Amino acid sequence: MTFGFAPDIVRLWKKHVSKTDKTGVRLMKLEVNQVGKRFGNRTVLGEINLSVRAHEFVCILGHSGCGKSTLLNMVAGYLLPDRGAITVDGQLVKGPSKARGMVFQDHALFPWLTILDNIAFGPSVQKKPKAAAREIAMQYLKLVGLEQAAASYPAELSGGMKQRVGIARALASQPDILLMDEPFGALDVLTRETMRVELQKICSQLKPTVLFVTHSISEAVYLADRVVVMKHGEIAGIFEVDIKQPRTSHSAGFGEMMSRIECVLMDDAQLELVAKVGT
Amino acid sequence: MNEAKLPTMKEAAAPPLAQAPDQEQPVNPTLPAPRLRAQGKWSRFLQKYNLLPTLLFFVIWELFSRLNASIELFNPRFLPAPSVLVQEAWRLAESGVLLESIAASTVRILIGFVIGCVAAVGIGVLMSKFRLVELWFSPILNLVGPIPALALLPLFIIWFGIGEFPKILLIAWTTFIPVLVYTVDGFKSVPSTLIRSALSLGASERQVFMRVMLPSAIPNFLVGAQVSLGLSFSALIVSEMMGADSGLGYIIVDARNYFKITNMFVAIILIGLEYSLFAYALRLVERRVMAWRKGGLRDAVEK
Ligand SMILES: Nc1ncnc2c1ncn2[C@@H]1O[C@H](COP(=O)(O)OP(=O)(O)OP(=O)(O)O)[C@@H](O)[C@H]1O
Ligand SMILES: [Mg+2]
Repeated sequence: MTFGFAPDIVRLWKKHVSKTDKTGVRLMKLEVNQVGKRFGNRTVLGEINLSVRAHEFVCILGHSGCGKSTLLNMVAGYLLPDRGAITVDGQLVKGPSKARGMVFQDHALFPWLTILDNIAFGPSVQKKPKAAAREIAMQYLKLVGLEQAAASYPAELSGGMKQRVGIARALASQPDILLMDEPFGALDVLTRETMRVELQKICSQLKPTVLFVTHSISEAVYLADRVVVMKHGEIAGIFEVDIKQPRTSHSAGFGEMMSRIECVLMDDAQLELVAKVGT
Repeated sequence: MNEAKLPTMKEAAAPPLAQAPDQEQPVNPTLPAPRLRAQGKWSRFLQKYNLLPTLLFFVIWELFSRLNASIELFNPRFLPAPSVLVQEAWRLAESGVLLESIAASTVRILIGFVIGCVAAVGIGVLMSKFRLVELWFSPILNLVGPIPALALLPLFIIWFGIGEFPKILLIAWTTFIPVLVYTVDGFKSVPSTLIRSALSLGASERQVFMRVMLPSAIPNFLVGAQVSLGLSFSALIVSEMMGADSGLGYIIVDARNYFKITNMFVAIILIGLEYSLFAYALRLVERRVMAWRKGGLRDAVEK
């Protein structure tokens, strides 16, 4: 299973992502403006301000339950903010749209469709003829290196393969923003590592705009242009990662970035504990 | 009904490639080759459809009936031997009664079952699409659903006479309730991430329904259909026992009135066979529609 190159797709995406408006300003800018969200009388998100540029890869990092998925679901349009607004190019996000593709942790493939038809789902609901939709799907399948599994059903694939299909499916409808909610969270460490490398390669080819939720600091530092650290429903810190891609954990500045993020992420109590153990 | 149901159930449970290679090994090397091959074919046939238990069942029945005929443990007419039943069935078939009865029963169950399923899916769709329909329908369903359908038959006969209509209505009604319950449950338990994925891939609400909700409710619908098949067969037989002049159920009451126990046995076995055929057909549909589905005990542990 090797990572494939798909020049056609790259060309398509270059055209797609370099769409500009009349004045030549690059389209696609995501703005999260003073967004708050409550469930019942519990405040999950306090006040989130975030803006994501075109082609940017932003990782959202935080402890479990800090509201990362809630934020992502609001950007996707599945949930509506109680306060504030989420806009893409000035347009208010009112519901799900094909402009914002989602990759779920549990991959959410349609079990009754073959792998190829799963990826062709997007193009085909967007009124592409069946043959054309399959053709597009095949190219994305090649992009994630799974063309030999085209006729299989999701139940016959391993976790890592399913998640590749999930990514290919989201990319196949050419979203302006790719949202990923812990896409590698259910994978083992080794698979996770390879998936991370492959995702990075795909992103360097297609240059999509990505909002990526993760628990793993190293994953965030490896992938992101910018790491947003969330704590208790607030943004606790934003880090620009200026390390040249492709990165490894031995890249200059990698470890330092990780420990800086870790400091922000840790609670004061934990920091005290660390200090005590240190002395 | 049960003895005839067994073979298909067993057949479905038997692994398709159960044929052990050593079965083809010559047991006795002096046997001539063609005979050997024929024997291998036979045993393969028996194993493939797992017919041995059924055969043995009928052989023991035959022997017991004959034994009973000579020592008179009880009145031999109570339990006729299978060979006698075959002769009797042949006689009935020659007179045309049998074919006519089978045709009448088959038409009733087919029409009733299909009407019940179609109505259930239709209302299930409406209930899951429109909250108002569900709000009004489910309390009423909870009210009339638990009533055993057979209790309604005398009422149907008084209302609609003894023609075909009350029978088909009864069968449709017994099919309707379980299929509806399972189908609605299927619509409700579609994973929300599947719906979200479809929406984010650009599907309209209609497309989400046609391409996500419907296919993911199909397994549930099929379970409902299988559950209700047994019930609708009971409804068929009971409705043919009350106020009918044709059908397999009618043969049974008629035979009771004239103490023709052999006829009764013939009808009972035919009912079982017909049920098995229907269940088998349904399972074929299921296997076709759900080729994607993996799982169950056989996939859980390889043997
Ligand atoms: N539908 C809901 N109703 C009520 N509370 C909810 C709902 N969804 C999420 N929450 C609560 O909101 C908080 C944030 O949830 P969220 O799923 O956004 O966390 P998360 O950062 O994604 O966590 P994880 O890393 O474990 O996925 C949690 O405490 C959760 O209990
Ligand atoms: Mg989450």
